Amino acid sequence: MATSTAGSEFLRPPSNQDFDTVRREPSHYNPLDTFRLPSGQDRHYQQQYGDMYFLRLAKLKPAVEEIAVDAWEGFSIAGENARRVERVLDVRQGELCWVAGTIYMDMPLKPNILDDLTKENYTLAPPPRPTYQDPANPDSTQIMLEDESGRLRLTGSMLRNTQLCTGAIIAVLGTENSNGDFEVIDIKVPDLPQQPRRWESEGVDAPQKGPSKGKIAFVSGLGITGTSSDTLALELLTDYLLGYTGTASAEGAPPNASAITRLIIAGNSVGARMTVDANAETKKKSGPKKYGYDASAYNASPITRLDSFLAEILPSIPVTLMPGESDPANFSLPQQGIHRAMFPQARAYCAPPAAGAEKPEPGWFDSVTNPWEGDVEGWRLWGCSGQNVDDVLRYLNFANEEGNVGDGAGDVKARIRIMEAMLRWRCGVPTAPDTLWSYPFQTDDPFVMQACPHIFFAGNQPRFKTATIESDSPLKLNGADTEMTGTDEETTSGPRVRLISIPKFKETGELVLVDTETLEVEVVKFSTFAGQQEKQ
Amino acid sequence: MAIADYKKYLAENVLNERRTVTYRSIGRALRVHSTLAKQMLYDFHQTENNKKPNSVNATYIITGVQKSPELTSAANGAQDSFYDNNGIPPSSPYVSSSMPNQDAVTDEIAISSVLLVREEDLEDAKSTFQSISSIHVYSLQPTVLQDLNVLTDVAAEMAASHAQEDPLEYGQSWGMIQGNNVRRRTGGRPPVPAAPPAPPKATIPAKRPIKSEEPTQSKVEPEEKAPKVEETTKREETPASTKPIEKTAPPKQKGSIFSSFAKAKPKQKKEESATPASGVESAEPNGAEDLVLGDASDGDEEPEELFPDSGKSAHIGTRESRKEREEKLRKMMEEEDEDEEMPDTEPSPEESKPIDEPPPKQAELKEEVTVRGGRRRGRRQVMKKKTVKDEEGYLVTVEEPSWESFSEDEPAPPPKKKPAVSAPKAKPAAKPGQGNIMSFFSKK
Repeated sequence: MATSTAGSEFLRPPSNQDFDTVRREPSHYNPLDTFRLPSGQDRHYQQQYGDMYFLRLAKLKPAVEEIAVDAWEGFSIAGENARRVERVLDVRQGELCWVAGTIYMDMPLKPNILDDLTKENYTLAPPPRPTYQDPANPDSTQIMLEDESGRLRLTGSMLRNTQLCTGAIIAVLGTENSNGDFEVIDIKVPDLPQQPRRWESEGVDAPQKGPSKGKIAFVSGLGITGTSSDTLALELLTDYLLGYTGTASAEGAPPNASAITRLIIAGNSVGARMTVDANAETKKKSGPKKYGYDASAYNASPITRLDSFLAEILPSIPVTLMPGESDPANFSLPQQGIHRAMFPQARAYCAPPAAGAEKPEPGWFDSVTNPWEGDVEGWRLWGCSGQNVDDVLRYLNFANEEGNVGDGAGDVKARIRIMEAMLRWRCGVPTAPDTLWSYPFQTDDPFVMQACPHIFFAGNQPRFKTATIESDSPLKLNGADTEMTGTDEETTSGPRVRLISIPKFKETGELVLVDTETLEVEVVKFSTFAGQQEKQ
Repeated sequence: MAIADYKKYLAENVLNERRTVTYRSIGRALRVHSTLAKQMLYDFHQTENNKKPNSVNATYIITGVQKSPELTSAANGAQDSFYDNNGIPPSSPYVSSSMPNQDAVTDEIAISSVLLVREEDLEDAKSTFQSISSIHVYSLQPTVLQDLNVLTDVAAEMAASHAQEDPLEYGQSWGMIQGNNVRRRTGGRPPVPAAPPAPPKATIPAKRPIKSEEPTQSKVEPEEKAPKVEETTKREETPASTKPIEKTAPPKQKGSIFSSFAKAKPKQKKEESATPASGVESAEPNGAEDLVLGDASDGDEEPEELFPDSGKSAHIGTRESRKEREEKLRKMMEEEDEDEEMPDTEPSPEESKPIDEPPPKQAELKEEVTVRGGRRRGRRQVMKKKTVKDEEGYLVTVEEPSWESFSEDEPAPPPKKKPAVSAPKAKPAAKPGQGNIMSFFSKK
């Protein structure tokens, strides 16, 4: 219960005490340009998307095959050894074999550009669906394995227990049945990639100045609308980050804000669509269309409010800002950083414009891409504003758990599992470019993870949730399967990843803090107490 | 010091003017540490209510750990799911052999809360806490706040009225946590302390001398940078030196409306010679430039802000007044044209002219364009082959000019407006296929 002494620091007449200056821990920060698109003339949208799948398969096939070889070499059923098949088309009927390829899911409710064209349905964006599965007809979902040679329909009870989505690279063990379908006995995924050691990118003699008690703060879904209905929680968040809330060290107090070395805003900072009435109004009036800044059609207040929020906290704390679905950035992934011209106040803290070829030092205020990869306090971070998780969730049938597709607890668990699956697929955004809009990459698929992050986060999730995953346990077949002669590898210290699903601040008022030494997670919640006044 | 004045300040604001005062707004107004400000509010609240009960109402901030179990609000569901989740749900084992050790280790998460509470609800709110680490007064107001969101307006007002104060300089005295390596851009675009927030200006210069002494005593890195801003301001911007206060050059200063003009200037001059009418819409060049900027983030000098008036619009009443001021600014700027060089944007005349010229003019010889319902329709002259039978019965083919109608989906400004349209405005229209800037932001 409340102690009577609590808060005595503040609940007393003014004193003449001196106040020490509180200083913030320095931030070590090194963003990576993995998702930065070429600018201006070099950015083309004419290419075919097929290249992305080809690149992804080329990159991940060796990895998954290595694991599959370990697991399945010498695997035999009834005296028949599993044979490795190079291409999907080379699978022969009745023969026990394994093959690697890309998953493609054909689902009844998945948006299909060809359907839209044949139906002459030229709407810009298909309405978002909660799921691509047809709940009335779950068998209409087809899972196929494809590579550059062809496609193979997968079947078998194994698939019912495994959640897959388009774009994942896996290896399957099984045999082709008389229908021409591939009966799956087992599945292997690329699993976690190599994880860099902490401070690895900074060189060996990294700033190892003993244990610094730093924290990295994550927030997403600020949902600023610019109206007075903006939650007061944002105000309280500002106060906290700036250290005005108090630096009480009592038990149960929120961590001292001076330990927070960086704030990462993971998308959807702006709530209302700023141009939403622009289209509606031009339709109504059908008047002359104006170019440029039209104050009547453009509501600048959300971004202005965001700007002043940033400008308020920036003098004290460095900020990394990722765009999200509702932010004023391009819609297709990877979203490029919100242009600093949007932030007339906050941009003073930006890095100076790149002069020449040399890479400029990252700014105190860094407007980065979504997804984004970078090193903070030596740890590798990989995060997205949540589109990747939301979209994969539509492929998976988690509805049967709770009976409904919603934001239940099962959904929250599912989201963390999806995040884990992505890491094990080594692909952060597997469903791009199928059902998530994406830039048509030509030479490189940056969504494939080259290095395993230490912190993998997804913004704008309904609830906060965290988990730790490892890959250090031996790989083995489970179930009623038979002998296997797989060897264990890297059992000593495999990668450890902290998964964080960051809730929408607008709805939960939660700020997520990650300790920079232990990667322990804490939550600080900002809210107002709905008292009698509001209950009436 | 200001500490003695706080009672007067609070009495004036809360009791007389019936306004809401938060600890931050009094902290800013009196330039005191946030802790001291909280104590002031508390003290005032106590003494006034002792004199006359319920004359002042307060809101409090409680920090600590809330009791979790009995809270059933949606926001606490996250915690519930920690306890019931031990990895694998029985029905659908996502954990398959393909994904070994799905040991989603969920550990207990410390959740601390920062809660804003009205005075009447203080005890109720306290009872929801497992342990309380601190309580302080957040705001004082004459009556009970029906809607706590009013407090956001107080904060906005405070931010606006103290926009001139550089947080890097004063932050320390407010009790703000100091960032050690704050980097703020100094060169390039020094903020001009000219027009924007007129109302507070009157009071600030008076207070400034008192204040500027203390922060300079403790040399902090960011402060050392502040003078640099000043220097660059002086060197580069002659207009700045004409202004009375160009001292702190705060970052809040979004204005720099000036430099926007300065940047567009060389171009504008050219335009004016080309299309004399262009000067009319002086507010437009900003908007037009935005179209060009897109998200190309690599220009050597970034383009102007998209919403030059945003935020400011609160103080500045009408559009007319802004225009007047811009007009003044422009005049001033043009006077300085001679002695000031702006090397960064200097479009050569050959380049700028064809672009600046509105495209319809070039096509006018052969086209008539009308705009109906957002579509451009028109006729153009083409050479057509025509085959006729002459009087002798032979087929004769002749080429002759004829008119054919065409339409384009591309919307264009109506023709009658054309003369009034300023040249940069016409620029984007010149590129066929480039849509409205709005479509850039909208979801596709």
